[in-house]
Amino acid sequence: VDEAGEREFTEYFRVRRDAVRRTAFLLCGDWHRADDHAQAAFVALHRHWRRIRDHAALDAWMRRTLVRAVVDESRRPWRRERSTAEPADGTSVPSASDAVATRHVLVDGLRSVPPRQRAVLVLRFLEGLDIAGTAAALGCTEGTVKSQTAHGLATLRMVLGDSLDDLRPAG
Amino acid sequence: MTDDERLAALFRAAATDTAAPPPRFDHDDVVAASRRITARRRSAMAGGALTVLAVLGIGAVVAIPGSSRDDATSTAAAPFAASGQAGPGDAAAPDGAAPELAAPVPPAGGADVPQALRGVPPFTGTPLGPGTAECADRQDPALRAFVEQVLPEVVGAPEAATTMECRPAGERGVNVEVRDGDAAGLLTVQYLPPGVIVSLVSGAVSAPTASGGTVVIYSRPAETGAPVPFAGRVDTAAAFLAPRL
Repeated sequence: VDEAGEREFTEYFRVRRDAVRRTAFLLCGDWHRADDHAQAAFVALHRHWRRIRDHAALDAWMRRTLVRAVVDESRRPWRRERSTAEPADGTSVPSASDAVATRHVLVDGLRSVPPRQRAVLVLRFLEGLDIAGTAAALGCTEGTVKSQTAHGLATLRMVLGDSLDDLRPAG
Repeated sequence: MTDDERLAALFRAAATDTAAPPPRFDHDDVVAASRRITARRRSAMAGGALTVLAVLGIGAVVAIPGSSRDDATSTAAAPFAASGQAGPGDAAAPDGAAPELAAPVPPAGGADVPQALRGVPPFTGTPLGPGTAECADRQDPALRAFVEQVLPEVVGAPEAATTMECRPAGERGVNVEVRDGDAAGLLTVQYLPPGVIVSLVSGAVSAPTASGGTVVIYSRPAETGAPVPFAGRVDTAAAFLAPRL
């Protein structure tokens, strides 16, 4: 990376680090792993900086790299995350009476959603991508995004029950 | 407020964690890691190129035709070069029958070797063994070179995104986005050093290697239910890689 490229990267890192960490956190549910994933994505970005011609698409590139890394990690051949439709140990989920509880309830619930479905939910509802954008980020069809969204939300609702009213369909 | 808007607000609230720990990395960490990887990759590529040159040199010496039967024996040990070519000893073969020495050398393992590997000479080099980098290379060039020999579709395949988690130094890995005919997906090949016990997920294949480690191969489709790349060839790949790692 030349000097100008280094300056651009430094600025991009300064502006985007926290957002990338937050996305990684919701994708994996753990701040330490989120830092690992976010750092890995930035390292990959730095290594590919010269080859990424469309710098307007940097966010999309980072999103794609981050999501794939998290999903890839969860699918390591000898340590797969276990998906469950029930809260661990059958314990009740805390009520969402305030913002802190809301955060914990949702993050705990997301841990029970399979990684790829979780990625779809995070891209759509945190990153604000539409179906086409989510499909592009994940390298899958729009139909897959729709079905994964439905399955992911269904799992989340099943896990959380009535803890989060906002997860109930309106009407 | 629509369902999507309510969900978006919920996700944003969940992601805004005021109790989040401070970042464990800064800009300097990122740049240093990037440069370290680039330097290591260049070094590995240079080493790989030297290895290829050395192998080509040995192959050339072995394949030089001579006039004695001993030379024919040497040629038979390199069937890729000798196949279909009349060697100096062939003229003496009665009734044009293929000379016995030109037959493929049975690989070590005999009946246990997959059909696809019959005819491939047994590997007599030094097994690759555990990696020596500070952290395991998730895209190990030396391992990839072997993978490309048994799965040629891997040649030119883009590297898949992997984490920068520092895996134990003895491991080696190759993670590539592959296309095998109509099947597309992700191929993961991992060498684990001696003493590492693993439990495999469904679909993954493992084999003990010559250095006492384990090779794990896992091919999965890009989408659930889609055709799996290299379906039916993963066992063969594991059998090919085992004596080389």
